[in-house]
Amino acid sequence: MVQTSEAQTEKPQTEHSSRDRILQRIRAGLCTVVPEPAAAGSDRVIVGPTINEPVIFEPVVDPLERFQQECVGNLMECALTADSAASAQQLSKVLQSLPEGETFVQDDPLLRLLIDLAAPERPIRWSSQGAPGEASQATVTLAEALIAQTGSILVTASCGGRGASVIAPCHIVYATLAQLVPDLATALSRVSQQRKLDRNSFACVISGSSRTADIEKILVQGAHGPRRLVVILQTGT
Amino acid sequence: MSQTAAQRFLQDAALKSADLVHREIIQRGMDSYDSAHLKGRARIKDWEAARQKCQEIKREAVNHLDRYLLQFEEKVISRGGHVFWAANAEEACTYVKNLATRLGVRTVVKSKSMVTEEIHLSPALEKAGIKVWETDLGEFIVQLRDEPPYHIVTPAMHLNRGQIAKLFREKLDPGIESDDPVDLMAAARRILRQAFFAAEMGISGANFLVADAGVVAISTNEGNGRLCTSVPRIHVVVTGIEKIIPRLEDLAVLWPVLATSGTGQGITTYSTLIGGPRQPGEVDGPEEFHVVLVDNGRSQLLADAEQREVLHCIRCGACLNICPVFRHVGGHTYGTTYPGPIGSVLTPHLAGIKEFKHLSYASSLCGACSSVCPVKIDLAHHLLQNRRNATAARATKSSERLMFRAWRYAMLHPRMYALGGWSMRKALRMIYSLGLAGSILDPMRVWNRHRSPVPLPSESFRARWRKSRGAN
Repeated sequence: MVQTSEAQTEKPQTEHSSRDRILQRIRAGLCTVVPEPAAAGSDRVIVGPTINEPVIFEPVVDPLERFQQECVGNLMECALTADSAASAQQLSKVLQSLPEGETFVQDDPLLRLLIDLAAPERPIRWSSQGAPGEASQATVTLAEALIAQTGSILVTASCGGRGASVIAPCHIVYATLAQLVPDLATALSRVSQQRKLDRNSFACVISGSSRTADIEKILVQGAHGPRRLVVILQTGT
Repeated sequence: MSQTAAQRFLQDAALKSADLVHREIIQRGMDSYDSAHLKGRARIKDWEAARQKCQEIKREAVNHLDRYLLQFEEKVISRGGHVFWAANAEEACTYVKNLATRLGVRTVVKSKSMVTEEIHLSPALEKAGIKVWETDLGEFIVQLRDEPPYHIVTPAMHLNRGQIAKLFREKLDPGIESDDPVDLMAAARRILRQAFFAAEMGISGANFLVADAGVVAISTNEGNGRLCTSVPRIHVVVTGIEKIIPRLEDLAVLWPVLATSGTGQGITTYSTLIGGPRQPGEVDGPEEFHVVLVDNGRSQLLADAEQREVLHCIRCGACLNICPVFRHVGGHTYGTTYPGPIGSVLTPHLAGIKEFKHLSYASSLCGACSSVCPVKIDLAHHLLQNRRNATAARATKSSERLMFRAWRYAMLHPRMYALGGWSMRKALRMIYSLGLAGSILDPMRVWNRHRSPVPLPSESFRARWRKSRGAN
């Protein structure tokens, strides 16, 4: 697929040296019977959703409210806009606050329209022209979904590629209310059902800007990735 | 010199627990973890149910390890990735080294991976003339100090900002004046940014291998893991075979539980899924994608009916953080890749019971580790089992065995026991009265060396028992 020309000479494959030996050892080991421990709540059925299964996470009642709350906790910015004109205005405001430099934009009709409306006075590099440059100041992409439970955005390689959400110091995501799902379980089961990972080599649940607490457990925002993650969430059409 | 691992452990433990600066740094770090962890747990409605669920997921995965690994492998290959099965550290290192040499790699950027520490991958690559950059801030710091990680989640938690600023001035840039963590991170970012864009190969670990989707799940906060797997033209994942989980949906509980137990976060900032090299039509991503599945002793644990569940570990570090022994002796004292309770249980299996049996005693058996483990591994009991196994394997000293035989005899013969107690009281009284407490002649030396002796009773417990019974 990727190495079409070399596919014949160097076909992606499993190197067999120790593979069979390891599998044999695993199977031999698994012959040992391990008794199931008596579960603490013995009324619980072992695997799979059942009526008995307790509720692990508080169900999300108002996804929009929860998403906004979680965004604050995750140190992300979330701007609600009524329509695409307002979204464009918001985008242009964010871009104006950034230092000079190239903006990388996922090449998608929706974002073409938005950029036309916002008409930023800065060079634009479309994802169809290649990966974002090292010195990009901002990237603008769509998302596959927004997740209320954790205040996250879900992106895949289709959202401008892998580097789009991590190379530039500011990542701006344009999303609509219809993309908001209540929780991680819903988001992941949709990824499975829609076979998104068959078509994308990459997906990421992003919950805030890049950060570290490796020095004295003190939170520092903006480690290797973006310092700012801005979600422009359009509630109307 | 020819010091054994056990002797080194005792020596380092004594030094570390007396190091007040170290103690203060760890205390502060652990306090901040404790409060974040509790807050994080409060965000999950039913924490016990979450642990139960995670245990069930991992048990299902480990009990069908062969099936799920094959399912994972097939998916990765279908996207054009490579899967290499390494029986031991040497095979894994050789594979990565040969790959790097064959593809003309001169610089490698690494994101955090304990398995690469376990197999000593970086030294193997450096030996072949390849420059390796650790890109997680904590790992970068310990790499500059030429030290192993102190902790499996926060590798540099034993250092304060002043020590890190000094290190950066010495090793990176004498112009770094501030010791503010923001500035220190910025300095590391400047240097590592060049490395990310110069490197031909990125190496990462994996937090989970998802069987049904055929993807690796990598959790990072800094985004270094993202850059390592996006920018260089080759991505190599080095991971243990036990990291497998059956379904993508399992992450809906595993991700929040891992983040809560690891740092107290609701979810790690970048919870990434990668299933292969750049696909046709994709904007960027590596041209080559390799997954190295490391066994290195893990498959043997499967046959251990008592301890198979040790393979459920998701390496969150919660048992290290709560362990009173870890909090006093620190991570480096263990002298193992995996410190703390999980390391004390696992290391004898990976590196030999004879050399590492002493770790089973580096525990008060308080059970705190078992109580916090998010996949419910009964660590405290596994430590006890390792003690028993060491004895059964005759890995103990002959003098120790002799003493226990004498003890057993005395316990079965009350008169002998009484005689032993009487003579011990006499002997100790004499030794103490001569001022020899804590000296080489003192049988209670281990205790008395650093403490005042416990006052000796005038009569035995048996005598007192008889008297009080008689009085009633």
